[in-house]
Amino acid sequence: MPLSLSDPTWYPIASSEDLPFRHVYQGQLLGRELAVWRADDGNVNVWENRCLHRGVRLSIGINEGQELKCQYHGWRYANQSAGCTYIPAHPADAPSRRIENRKYPVREAFGLIWSAANDDQPFAPFDGAQGEDWFPLRPMPVDAAPEDVVAGLARLAPDDQPADLLPGMAVRLGAAVFFVQPVDAGRAVIRGLLAGQPHDAMAALRHHNETLTKLRDRLERAAARKPAPEPLQPVFEKVSAELSTMPDIAVPRGNTITVVVKRKWKSAEGVIGFELADRDGRYLPTFQPGAHIDVHLPNGLVRQYSLTNGPGDLNSYVIGVKQESASKGGSKVLVETVREGDVLAISEPRNNFPLRRDATRTVLIAGGIGITPLLSMARFLDKSSLKYELHYFTRQSERLAFSSELDVLHGSIDRHVGLGREAITAKVAEVLGPYQFANHVYICGPGTMLEMVQQTASALGWPDEAIHFEYFQNDKVIDASSAFDVELARSAMTLHVPAGRTILETMREAGLTVPSSCEQGACGTCLTGVIEGEVDHQDVYLNKTEKASNTCIMTCVSRAKGPRLVLDI
Amino acid sequence: MPKAPDPITRDLWHVVAATNELPIGQIETTLLLDRRIALTRGIDGEPVAWLATGEENGDEIDSETVLDRLPVRTAYGYTWTCLGTPSAELFPIPEFAEPDRVNMSCGSIGIHVSAPRAVENFLDMGHFPYVHTDILGSEPHTEVKEYDVEVSEERDEVLATKCKFMQPRAAKSATTAMEVEYVYRVPHPFCSVLYKSCPEDESRRDVIGIFLQPMTEETCRAHLLQSMIDSTSTITDLRRFQQTIFGQDKPILENQYPKKLPLDPRSETPIRADKSAIAYRRWLSQKGITYGVIPQAS
Amino acid sequence: MDCPVKPGNDGQQNFGEPMITLYDFELSGNCYKLRLLMNILDVAYGIHPVDFFPGREHKSDWFLRLNPFGQLPVLQDGELTLSDSGAILAYLAKKYDTSGQWFPDDPAVTAEILRWHAVADDITATSSAARLALGYGYNFDIEKSRKGAHRIFRLMDEHLWFGEKSGRDWLCAPSHPTTADIACFPYVMLSEEGGISRQDYPALRRWTDRVRRVPGFVVMSGIFPAGPAKT
Repeated sequence: MPLSLSDPTWYPIASSEDLPFRHVYQGQLLGRELAVWRADDGNVNVWENRCLHRGVRLSIGINEGQELKCQYHGWRYANQSAGCTYIPAHPADAPSRRIENRKYPVREAFGLIWSAANDDQPFAPFDGAQGEDWFPLRPMPVDAAPEDVVAGLARLAPDDQPADLLPGMAVRLGAAVFFVQPVDAGRAVIRGLLAGQPHDAMAALRHHNETLTKLRDRLERAAARKPAPEPLQPVFEKVSAELSTMPDIAVPRGNTITVVVKRKWKSAEGVIGFELADRDGRYLPTFQPGAHIDVHLPNGLVRQYSLTNGPGDLNSYVIGVKQESASKGGSKVLVETVREGDVLAISEPRNNFPLRRDATRTVLIAGGIGITPLLSMARFLDKSSLKYELHYFTRQSERLAFSSELDVLHGSIDRHVGLGREAITAKVAEVLGPYQFANHVYICGPGTMLEMVQQTASALGWPDEAIHFEYFQNDKVIDASSAFDVELARSAMTLHVPAGRTILETMREAGLTVPSSCEQGACGTCLTGVIEGEVDHQDVYLNKTEKASNTCIMTCVSRAKGPRLVLDI
Repeated sequence: MPKAPDPITRDLWHVVAATNELPIGQIETTLLLDRRIALTRGIDGEPVAWLATGEENGDEIDSETVLDRLPVRTAYGYTWTCLGTPSAELFPIPEFAEPDRVNMSCGSIGIHVSAPRAVENFLDMGHFPYVHTDILGSEPHTEVKEYDVEVSEERDEVLATKCKFMQPRAAKSATTAMEVEYVYRVPHPFCSVLYKSCPEDESRRDVIGIFLQPMTEETCRAHLLQSMIDSTSTITDLRRFQQTIFGQDKPILENQYPKKLPLDPRSETPIRADKSAIAYRRWLSQKGITYGVIPQAS
Repeated sequence: MDCPVKPGNDGQQNFGEPMITLYDFELSGNCYKLRLLMNILDVAYGIHPVDFFPGREHKSDWFLRLNPFGQLPVLQDGELTLSDSGAILAYLAKKYDTSGQWFPDDPAVTAEILRWHAVADDITATSSAARLALGYGYNFDIEKSRKGAHRIFRLMDEHLWFGEKSGRDWLCAPSHPTTADIACFPYVMLSEEGGISRQDYPALRRWTDRVRRVPGFVVMSGIFPAGPAKT
């Protein structure tokens, strides 16, 4: 069979020990170059060796532990998903499109890293692999056609014990198995495994290295006498049409993902932690620090929770839920009825609270359960060795959540317990200090705290764009005084929305079924496309750019600025 | 067998050498559009170019004896030639003629990448903190602010203005980061010129040009020009600075794939900061340039 | 740029003229070897830039008086004028390395280091030659230079691979880097400019990460730093 990227065979592409932490290995399979790296959590990533942005090899990039950073523009890609989490040229934007590098299947087994050019075939260990303790030899790159290398290996066998040719360019010679990694049409790597640990490991390694070196030299002399085969042409797949233009604003409606509650625990007094994982053990979608998910609750409500995860940490999402007596059946349902092993639907992560990583000073201020997105931010900053200060305010020390997670961070973490309102204000003013260039503050906590920090920061000269916060509840006073018409394009009807009534209510009265949840412009459930007319946004769900795009509306609170609005419903 | 260059590329003036680095009475050879060309200078100092016939490199020659010559002109300290029918004019850099400027070549450096990839890198600001760390940029100041790009119909060039970037040491005396402003021109498919605020005289701008000699579709030679308002630095100092910058870009460019610049918008993933690159790619497409690029499938 | 620098220690320059002047070209790997070691050893020095390219100032009369071989780098320490990067590395280590680890006195180790200094010169003759031919218009045999570099890199990769297996992270026996590592590093790292890929030398690539994490490491134009190691 001619060598090609349609070959579904799993080949070894590296030794396990080729992948120390914080290193990027440069590999190649069937003409396609690979950037291979081990994350701090041990996971091995096999990606196309090319940043999607400008085609620069990722093998010259930096393995930051849980993210790979491209050397050209500092784009960061997450462990496992290969999703882009940060574009430094636009530090205030959460990457709105799903930019993901090409990745290939990977398996670590028998001291080798295995991959395939495509996903067409599941991994299966080679014949006779099981039940042995395999000892990997030093890999031997050979500048010769892979099929010639296989033949050369087979000729190493003594006459009375012929070599056993295994599928997938492998040769068994007595107690050793040699795999030929087809690097390119004229290049290969011999990767050998010995069955069982040799008595004298160094002697065995030296011996086989010598044998393979001699074989390599013979094969290369033979290859030099033949015309060199044409290298395989790597195919650079096209990106999606969505990625090919500069981003317009696209509000992701996102699919729901089914997750299982892997762990539920009391993180602190009044704070319950939930660890949510994919049912089949796959990794979850890429997220950026500050992101939240919608959780669809068993009682039909939808609630938003921030992710606390660090970079490239996609095996599960961890959220913190406040145990509230006054809860309207949202958090209460989660806390009281959802158990470990239960299945929930969640949205893909969405980010209205993006973290800039271009600050000279980053101040994170958390009040109570507001610690959750800031914990995620602190973890990202921590991994990138960026400085930050985290101030965590709670009423009692028993209420300090995620303590062990905070303890392992290297930044300056201050816990402020039991301060009164005025003391908190004074502390915040002291912490912030007068505004200086490229300082940024991030606040998450109760609405009153958000307002207090904003006012305090403003008074100290902090401009709006340096003060970042996110609402989970819409505390704004809704102005419902306008009256206008809505034309429902797909339903072919025009309705009048009088003052004091919402678009959502008016549509329902006319017999339409419209999904909704919080009905206060915070959850995003009633998001509707806008075709014509200017929107009077009153929600806290859409971000500034999305609002400015005038392409969507939250019908539960927002209204028309003019006499008429055409909706895509 | 390399393909013949497109007619637009064939008829362009192409840079081939820094004129006063060409030896008088000796042959030097180089590649242009896959053709080997020979160069020398006569005793009058004027460059002469012709299509090389064999192993001419290093030989002595009397330029008077070269009959079948390629058209030649000298501009901005460099020798330019053309393998087709050249247009009368080369793009203007009026500042070059200002009497108090220090004009200099900074070396002609071969790079394993197409000429258009090198132009695009020259237009790019987002890489400053990562590639020119602590010189043209440094983390955390990584933002590329909105800037303006237009394709000037009148001058047939791409023009990016109001390009601002925070630089750690924009001026020798600077102790804190300050924002510098750039203007970029692409007046030729394989040449670009930038104007940068000048530390010595606020009303004027330093000019840095990069002229790419397309040797093959996937290799080129970068000829660097500096035209500076600088009364204190030596030429060696100024060259060293520019070579340091270019030497940092080199490994990036040589690790870029594919080597040719892809013009199909779906080949790579642009962001807002890449506005000038997008305009440049479209401009090349509209001109019908196919040399050194992967044209958009029609 | 002709100014005293004490790199890596910004804003805390020693006042007064430094004793050491390096005649230097930024893009030269051989000059970089000395900048690198002096930075690691925290030795203050001044730079005298030499217009090696395109000015060919290393063949000018004044430079040939300094070094008749017409090669960079040249280092002046007080009255002393030295040339050859390997020799100067040994000098700097012997004179300024208080730890004694960069060029140890042990005779066996000295021999090992000098062996690798010789390899470093072979790397210059191959990898650097290919780079000069491709990038800087030198008339060297590119194919021959590349082949020679690959031959050396194969041996280095093997040496370093077995080194890792036996707990030796560096080129020579001591459990720390020596001038041998400094001497071999630059033109290994710059090999791609000569069209010499390091893809087939994973142990060599890992060693370049380790060198780039030596405390006091500085880059040169064309070499990027490694990220921080896992703590």
